[in-house]
Amino acid sequence: MHALLEVKDVTKSYFENGKEFKVLDLVRFDLAERDFVCVVGPSGCGKSTLLRIIVGLDKPTSGAVLFEGEPIRADNPQVAMVFQSFALFPWLTVQQNVEIGLEAKGTPPEERHRIARKFIDAVGLTGFEDAFPRELSGGMKQRVGIARALAIEPLLLCMDEPFSSLDPLTAQNLRDEILQLWANPDLPPKAVLMVTHAIEEAVYLADRVIVLSSRPGRMIAELQIDLPRPRNRKEPEFYGWVDEIYSLIV
Amino acid sequence: MRGLRRWLRYVAGVLILAGLVVAIAFPQAALNAIQLPLFAVFSTTRMVVAYLLSLVFAIAYGHTAATNKRAAVVLLPVLDVLQSIPILGFFPAALVFFVATFHGHPIGIELAVVFLIFTSMSWNMAFGVYESLTTIPQDLEAAAASFGLRGWLRFRHLAFPAAIPKLVYNSILSWTNGWFFLVASEIFTAGGTEFKRPGLGAFIAVAGRNGDAASIAIGIGVLAAVVLTLDIFLWRPLSAYSERFRMETVTGREIPRVPSPYERFRWLPRLPRLRQWTLARLQPVAARSHRMSLQFERAYSGHPKVIKEVRRIDLALFLIVFVLVVSTGLIGLAQMFLRPLPLSAALLPTAAFLSFSRLLLAYGIALAWTIPVAAFIGESERASRYLTPAFELFGSLPATALLPVIVGFALLVTASFGDAAQLAAVLIALFSMQWYLLFNLIAGVRSIPDDLKEAARSFGLRGRAYWRRLLLPAIAPSLLTGSITAWGAGWNALIVSEYTQYANRPFEVPGLGSLLNHAVFDPVPDSEMLLLTILTMIVVVLAMNKLLWRPLFRRASQRFRLEV
Amino acid sequence: MSNSGEGDGRTGGVTDFHPIAKVSVGQILGLVEAIDEVGGVADVATISQEVDMDLDRLGPVLGAAEFLGLMTVEEGDVRITDLSRKLLHANVRERKAIVRDIIDDVPVFRLITDMARKAGRPLSRQEIIEALSARVGSHQAEDLFKALVYWGRYVELVRYDSQSEQLTLRTPSK
Repeated sequence: MHALLEVKDVTKSYFENGKEFKVLDLVRFDLAERDFVCVVGPSGCGKSTLLRIIVGLDKPTSGAVLFEGEPIRADNPQVAMVFQSFALFPWLTVQQNVEIGLEAKGTPPEERHRIARKFIDAVGLTGFEDAFPRELSGGMKQRVGIARALAIEPLLLCMDEPFSSLDPLTAQNLRDEILQLWANPDLPPKAVLMVTHAIEEAVYLADRVIVLSSRPGRMIAELQIDLPRPRNRKEPEFYGWVDEIYSLIV
Repeated sequence: MRGLRRWLRYVAGVLILAGLVVAIAFPQAALNAIQLPLFAVFSTTRMVVAYLLSLVFAIAYGHTAATNKRAAVVLLPVLDVLQSIPILGFFPAALVFFVATFHGHPIGIELAVVFLIFTSMSWNMAFGVYESLTTIPQDLEAAAASFGLRGWLRFRHLAFPAAIPKLVYNSILSWTNGWFFLVASEIFTAGGTEFKRPGLGAFIAVAGRNGDAASIAIGIGVLAAVVLTLDIFLWRPLSAYSERFRMETVTGREIPRVPSPYERFRWLPRLPRLRQWTLARLQPVAARSHRMSLQFERAYSGHPKVIKEVRRIDLALFLIVFVLVVSTGLIGLAQMFLRPLPLSAALLPTAAFLSFSRLLLAYGIALAWTIPVAAFIGESERASRYLTPAFELFGSLPATALLPVIVGFALLVTASFGDAAQLAAVLIALFSMQWYLLFNLIAGVRSIPDDLKEAARSFGLRGRAYWRRLLLPAIAPSLLTGSITAWGAGWNALIVSEYTQYANRPFEVPGLGSLLNHAVFDPVPDSEMLLLTILTMIVVVLAMNKLLWRPLFRRASQRFRLEV
Repeated sequence: MSNSGEGDGRTGGVTDFHPIAKVSVGQILGLVEAIDEVGGVADVATISQEVDMDLDRLGPVLGAAEFLGLMTVEEGDVRITDLSRKLLHANVRERKAIVRDIIDDVPVFRLITDMARKAGRPLSRQEIIEALSARVGSHQAEDLFKALVYWGRYVELVRYDSQSEQLTLRTPSK
């Protein structure tokens, strides 16, 4: 029995003028079903590079990423991605944006219409189907990003700093809605992997937090956050975790 | 604004009346003018055909250069060279080639004309496509890849829409270029034979040759009307439509774009209903193309390998043709240099120097008036409101069309024949160069943030200090952009400006342009001199680009960039 | 917030949509959550610190939340209402329904929906802007229109096509 995702000793280096610049060093962890994992680390620790490697957009210098026991491919429809900058197609409507992955999969038009509606509704965007991204607030844009990712009904959802372009209030609201979606077992995905630089955010959301050191990114710790949900950021236990991670990084 | 529009309507009325008066006073010219609408249609058709070809070429070329790294190694430098050489220099060669291929049939000349316009339109469009595709935000690119957009789907949903804004913007530039070359190419004499196709350019040129002032005026008027009409009915609605395809930044603010100096004629009535009408007409076309693309997609998804092969063959064909052309060119060159050079080759250095000095003089004059005027227009709402219309109207006319007017003017103010030729050559260069400078400079002045201006004033920067410390540094990048384009246009103008005919007399000054003309037009064409002259010109232009403009541009964009 | 000085907006003036014009649903919900987390009541300075937003940005959100009846502001203390608590425990669908009931009663929103209902055809953007300009001046009409479309879409009472610039009414899905 394989884990859903296996990250095996991933190392990434860039070469410039014959000199090697190491970004990631021997990163190793697994993701099982119903795992919500956050990778945290200071800026420049290669978190985003790690995520790009995990979804297959980038190749590791050494090591491997296995998805259900097979090497990962960028266009794997079982893995979907949510971006920091939303990465919506400005010339497509909300509906068309959400359908894009299904269109690429070759889903027939009526079918993909129906599926897209379902996920547009799940993220609270019903009413905005015909709107273009530029007509939406930041929070709404990221909801489109999330609906688009969920629409291909992936097993694994990868999120790259999904809340860091939003204002604090919108971000808080969206975090809670993500948890609401996650709590519904009828909805995809089976596991979530999120990269963030905000430690509080990681403790608020994740079952497990993976802490990376600054450049090159090495794994410092892998912590099981056993706080019950919903979590309150004002409680001392919560703060205990946040403090611990801070002290690991600094 | 409303007052201004009314004022413009009066102007239009006066112009029409004036036209009627001219028609009555000069019946012969009026008789000629009756054919003009037909000529306008002919000329526009040539432009449209050349444009459609350029469009297909630009998308294919730009897309390949942006997506195929190996091809880009060849495609980009080629584009770079083609973009910066004076294309008009090749026209005689192309003309001879096409006419010979079609045994003197008019279709040969038509093809030569279309080919020339095509070469003047396509490079910057191809470059625009390449630029848009390489500046697609990384995340969007990654999103397309991770959601499985490949091949045709990727082109339809990502690459093509992303290229639309620049493509439209550059198309407007290309049309301006195109008019310049259309007018220059509809009538030509080579090897003692005259080649002429009916059109606006030929009409104006013939009128100039006969010294027929009324016909010149009417011809230019019709040309201006065509340019204006196209702007209102085609380019403005298209520009508005292309706004939808602009990228946004994360914060929802749009990426600040280069202010377009060519968003012309904003002062004309906006005609919202017309825009709606045009868009409504475009909708079914868009729907049909959508349906077609769906069919194509279905076909494609069945045969991805076939398409891949087709693309590979396509590329291979291009490379083969490219290698053939380059190698024949090189062999030809080698042969030429192996033989002793013709005697007249000794003239080349002097000619190059003279031509360069002439352009430098025109450039100096252009700078001397455009900088202060741009500063004035850029800072004063009122000045802009009254002066912009006039400048834009003038600027939209190709310098080649103004040629007879300029030569006539030069004859008027100078006593001697030779002086008139000298003056005319500089003036034509000036008219080709100055608008690029002016419009870029105005955009540059406008882009200075108000805060910065106010800060400068509040610290007491005034007069010379204000210019030295704020205005000139701030407009340096736009000055350079304008200068590069202006010099490009100047080299092309050289070819028409150093040798022209007016009132049945040739006007000629020594320089590269006239050498080129002689090599082609003399009863015994001299292909060796033709090649050598073009080569000299290319060397000078490329040297200037690489040694002067590039380094300057790099420095200016680093030091004087305004962070908005 | 800024127009609260122009008499009590609740008496049915058209400008009363103003407080929620430049605020998104997500911000309001985020604020409600944040105050709930610190015990349901807090002074403005604490909230500002808590959510890491200065008053310039927080002010409009507070104003909007107060306008929607989600919180009360008294002597600098912000307190969430029962409606807020209901909202907190609702899912995405139910939240929409709650906000819909509030928005539907706002006079300027009513004005537009009634206009569309009476006309029995899609309204053009131009028509609506003109109707709004007559009440709030052309300067604010654009902003107000944008807000109407945004909130109208969110509560699923309005459909707007930005290409043809036509606004139609819709019935909310269940």
